[in-house]
Order: sequence, then C-alpha cells, then structure tokens
Amino acid sequence: MSLTFKGGLHPEENKITAKSPIEVMPEPATVAIAMSQHIGAPCIPTVKKGDYVYKGQTVGEGQGGLTCPVHSSISGTVIGIEDRVGAFGQKVTHVVIENDFKSELLPEIKPNSKSLEESTFDEIVEIIKSAGIAGLGGATFPTHFKVASAKGKGEKLIINCCECEPYITANHRLMLEKPEDIINGVKVVMKALDLKACHIAIEDNKKDAIKVMQEKVGNENGIDIKVLKTKYPQGDERQLIYAIDKIEIPTGKLPADVGRIVLNAETSAAIWRAFHDGIPLVDRVMTVTGDCVAQPKNLIVPLGTSISDIISYCGGYTGEIEKIISGGPMMGMAQWDETAPVIKGTASILCFGKKNKTQPSENCIHCGKCVGSCPMHLMPLYLASFAKQGDWESCREFDVLSCVECGCCTYQCPGNVPIVQYIRTAKGKLRK
Amino acid sequence: MGLLKVSASPHIRHEDTTRVLMSDVILAMIPLLIWGAYVFGLRVLTITAVSIVSCVVFEALFNLILKKKIPVGDLSAVVSGMLLAFNLPATIPLWIPVIGAFFAMVVVKGLFGGLGKNFMNPVLAARAFLFGSWPSHMTTYSAPLERLSAFGKIDAVSSATTLTELKNGALPSEDIFDLFIGNMAGCIGEVSAMLILAGGIYLLVRKVITWQIPVAFIATVALLTFAFAPDGVSNLSFMMAELFSGGVMLGAVFMATDYVTSPVTAKGRLIYGIGCGALTVFIRFFGGYPEGVSFAILIMNLFVWYLDRATKPRKFGGIRNAKA
Repeated sequence: MSLTFKGGLHPEENKITAKSPIEVMPEPATVAIAMSQHIGAPCIPTVKKGDYVYKGQTVGEGQGGLTCPVHSSISGTVIGIEDRVGAFGQKVTHVVIENDFKSELLPEIKPNSKSLEESTFDEIVEIIKSAGIAGLGGATFPTHFKVASAKGKGEKLIINCCECEPYITANHRLMLEKPEDIINGVKVVMKALDLKACHIAIEDNKKDAIKVMQEKVGNENGIDIKVLKTKYPQGDERQLIYAIDKIEIPTGKLPADVGRIVLNAETSAAIWRAFHDGIPLVDRVMTVTGDCVAQPKNLIVPLGTSISDIISYCGGYTGEIEKIISGGPMMGMAQWDETAPVIKGTASILCFGKKNKTQPSENCIHCGKCVGSCPMHLMPLYLASFAKQGDWESCREFDVLSCVECGCCTYQCPGNVPIVQYIRTAKGKLRK
Repeated sequence: MGLLKVSASPHIRHEDTTRVLMSDVILAMIPLLIWGAYVFGLRVLTITAVSIVSCVVFEALFNLILKKKIPVGDLSAVVSGMLLAFNLPATIPLWIPVIGAFFAMVVVKGLFGGLGKNFMNPVLAARAFLFGSWPSHMTTYSAPLERLSAFGKIDAVSSATTLTELKNGALPSEDIFDLFIGNMAGCIGEVSAMLILAGGIYLLVRKVITWQIPVAFIATVALLTFAFAPDGVSNLSFMMAELFSGGVMLGAVFMATDYVTSPVTAKGRLIYGIGCGALTVFIRFFGGYPEGVSFAILIMNLFVWYLDRATKPRKFGGIRNAKA
C-alpha cells in the first residue's frame, strides 16, 4: 500500500518524456543571468559591462542570510546589465553574457580535497551557500539556509522525488541516470546535520526509478525508499511529511519545526556536485514538453538560456502556440513571450497549443468537489464566494491564509470558476 | 512573435464540466424513463417531453427578459424537467408540468439568481406547490401495466399506491420483488428501486455524486421502519416495502444529491442524509400525507448552509477545535 494524504487529485499524467534520456543542450550564444532566482534578497551584480567571466564565476551576490549567489553558466564577456521581465513576470536585473564558446571553468574550481568524514557542518553549509544552491523543485528556497536552520532540530531528511505535477519528468530521469549523485548528496546533508535517517520519497508511477534507487541505496545506513501514491500535490512538503510520518506541520511552522528537512532530488545531486567537484549551480535538468513542441525532451540547460533558444533546440513549435508555461501545468507561470531565461526553479517549459484555450467561467453549483480535493482541508467554494463579495474577514475566518495555491479546486471545478484567483486576491487584501 | 496568452495557474482543467455532470445524470435517468413508459404507457414520454421543454423554455425566457446569458448549455434545466416529470403520476393533465416548470425554473431558481443560487430544490418545491394546489390530480395513479396512450383520453381506473396501505399499518398486496423492480402504482420515475439504484451506482462510479447522502438517507429509513414496524407485521417485509415504495429511492439518489441544495462536506452530507431519512419516516408515520420524501428533503435544504458551516473541516496544520 502506497503512502498518501487526504485530498488532492490525479490529473492526467502526460509524462511523455519519461523514456527520453537527459540530453546536454549545447551552450547558447548569450545567457541572461537573473539576479533573483531564489526566495529572499535579490543579488547585486558583481561584474560590469565588458568584464570577462569564467564559467562558474560569481556574477551576483546578495546581502543578508536569506539569499543565494548566482554564477555565470558560460565563459565569455558581459555585454550588458539589464532590467528585463523574468520568469515570474516581474522586472529583474539580468547580467547578459556573450559566449566565447570556450567553456572555461573558473580556475579556482577544483575537486574537494577533504573527505566527507573530515568535513564540518560549517564547511558544508559554506559550500552549499557559495555554490548558489536553491530548491530546484521550483520553490527556490536557499538550501544553505534550510540546512543551517535545521541544525539541532532536524531528525530526518526526506528527499522529494515525487514530481507530482503532470508532464514533468526531470527528477524521474535524474533518478534513472544519476542515482549516485542524489544518494551522495543525501550523505553530505546527513553528515552536516548528523542525521540518522533519510527517506527517499518516490511516487508509485515511477516503478523503474524506485527499482534503480532501491538497488543503489542497497543497505546504506539509515537511507530507505518510501513509495507514495501518485497524487497531486504529493510533492508539497507538508503533504509529503504527512504521507510518510503522519505529522501535520502546524500552520505557520516549517518542516524543521517538526524535525524534518525536505530537499528536492536534483537539489541533493547539486549539493554533491558542489561538495565533490566544487562546481556551483550553473545548469539544471528540465523537461521541455507540451502538445506544441516538435521534440519533447529532458535537457540539461545552462541557467540563463532563453526559452526561445531551448525551443529551437527542441525543433520549434508544431502548430500555433497559445501558452508557454515556466514550471508545471498546475502551479507554473504563464509567460508573456519567449525571452525569459531559465532560472534555478525552472523544472520545465510547457508549450500548449490552441486546444488548451481557457473556457469561460460559469456559476458555482456547490458540488463540493473543491472541498474534497483541497489538500489543506479548506472550503474553496466559500473562499471564492466571500472574496467575490469583498468579505475579507469571512475569508480569514475560513482560513484563506492557509491556502497553498496548488490549484486542485480550480482544476476540478465543473463551473470553471477561477477559485485560486479569488483566493489570491483575498490573501493579498488580508496581508496588506 | 506576438505576446502569448498569460493566465493564472492552474493551466489545465478536468474534463467534467457542469454540462458533462448533468449529461451523466440524464444518462442515469434514461432507464427510469423507459421503465416508466413500459409500466404506465407512452403518455409518460409525453409528460416528460412537456416538462423538459417547459423547463428549458421558462429558464431561457426568464434570462432573456432579464438580459442575462441563457444557460441552456449546462443542461441543468433538462435534468430539472426530467425530475419534475418523474415526480408526477402518469394520469396528470399536461398543463400541470407546465405550471410546475414555471414555479421551479422561474420562482425557485431564476428569482434567486439562477443555477447554484437557489436554496431549495426547484423540482421538489414545484412538486410541493402542485401538491398543495391540485392534490387530486397529483394523487390519481393508474394501475401498473394498464398503459396509457401518448395523447389519448385517460380512462384507467385509479389505483391506490402501496404507501396508503403502509400508512394504514398493513403490508401492501404486491410482493416485495414487484416493489423492487417497480411493478406497482406510483409516480413516473420513482417506481423502480432497482433501476434507480443502478443509476445511483453509475453516478457513484462516475464520481458525479458521493455515497454519503444516498446511503445515510436509505439506511436511516431502513433502520427506523425496521425498528418501528407496526404490530403483527414482519419487520423486514415492512422495512422493504417502505424502502421500495414512494419516493425514497428517487429522493435519496437523484433529489437529495442535488449539488446546489445539499452540503459540500462529507460529514455534512451524512447528517443531511440522516435528517432526510428521519423526516421522511416521521412524516410517513405521523404526518397528514402518506408520503414524506419531498417535504423531508425541502426541510433539510434549509439546513444546508448551517451544516456546511458546522462541519467545516479542520484545516491541515490547524490545532483541533481552535479558531485560527
């Protein structure tokens, strides 16, 4: 019996790229490195126009604890520091670099001479921090901060390999092709926090990955595989911790408060690369898919590559493009155009054609499907109705602030009511 | 390249729109219509057609006059039309469903804001209205298998329903199997418990309805009628006769599960179903009418907002019984 949580739903998986091996995309002619690719303070460029940068060189750094440096993903010349519309639809400063196609790695980058056993907590956190690692599942929470704040509180590590969003297969392929990187990353974090246990959580639609990971983990001390029922949003860390340990994170608390630290599979692999090879986060695995792209692929893409470069590498569009989404179909961001560059949180680029046209919204028929599918156990129909009337206090009373905007309610709604939109409005009003 | 379509997540939708759900309900009711026509004659089809057309036309006209979007596409008026016909005896004059349709679609549904806004089940409210206004028309039943022609004069002998016999504390003359398959006098769509249950299972499998309301409703009626069967009558036979007679099955599966007028939480639905069942038995035992299903559901309709509120789920991560 697979582990699960209450609520949620199972949209059509559409994992068309599940069998496509990860390809390394050739470096593009230019990259635009966004100064804000993580939750927290944005970075300030540390290079200026005309500078030569190596691959892996820091090009932006932020102030304070909750931030994360960014690095150049290619070697070449800085040709501009520009404000552009980023993947989240807001203006962000980008360092634009022209490729010299030499792929020259920063000379300081070399494999770690220290073994894991000799490394201390502080050293490991510093490695993660200077490598610029942020949650690669899409939330982009700075990983060094997560690890550091779990010190003394963390009991168990959970590696999130659920990939519950439809279409995306990046983690799936990573588990099949680079399972050692994930497991070694686990060991680094376990050593840093002196953890005795780690669960690698995989949904039961990825049988091949479960098998591979099981073999690779073998009799490794304290690490085991947890098989979860395929259901969205299983990859939400609250639902993940609940499914495995039956613990609810109290409202307003973090996983660390219940002794858990949850990392995405690719984040774990990035930690290993940073620890072992000294390579900062300069590229990521992503899925390029949808009904409107010629060759759906899983790719390793240098950060800062524009969506248009990626799509031309995948053979361009088939048919008329309606929507490009950065991220999954349930929570991803629709893009204005194809200029936005890939950032650390971009797990997929979805290209949807005309048949995904949005239907007009009708009346709520009070069917209650949204109540049954809400993983936070809210009553979305009433939240939407209160928000429609501008009754923000009733929204608060019905726990609107606990909404995680997973979109289950809106996905299910037979009347096509934009429930999450109403909820976002209410949350915005209440937070003012 | 021009600008792309930007919209808020989620970017995909489940294929079951209101229209699809209503089509499923219609599909689940078609066997009942066919059975009704088999038992009571082709007149059943005429009544149903009049009722459906009236419901659709009244809803369209109402929205036309108010300059609102005409929502015929959602098929809910078709469902209402079918259900209204199912709640009438086959001998009913054809103008009655027209008036019923007006009351359901305009007074109960339209004036309160249309689909999703009415607080009472439009069909049952219309039935109650017709019942109060033309009681003799509403209770003249033809005998089973004495089929009425589609448009001809009604000369069938009126027949008592099993409910009247049950009300008098006696078991009906029909055997339980006939009651189960629907070989008895009654309203057009309510006689065949078997086909109603089959329709209910279809709706459950298609996830159009959830199990709580029908199961709680039927189980409550079963429990109470078994426990309080009159003296000298087999408890089990009495219970079965009560379950398979009148509107319990149609009410529990197709009427009480109306989305708009039933609660949205699992707990709320259970309480609602129990309430419907208990009130049905109460009215059947102590009320002035032999049948209590429609009034039971209408009364429970009034509690829906309260039940929703009272059974608000504890939010994930919320401390038990604490206000956020």
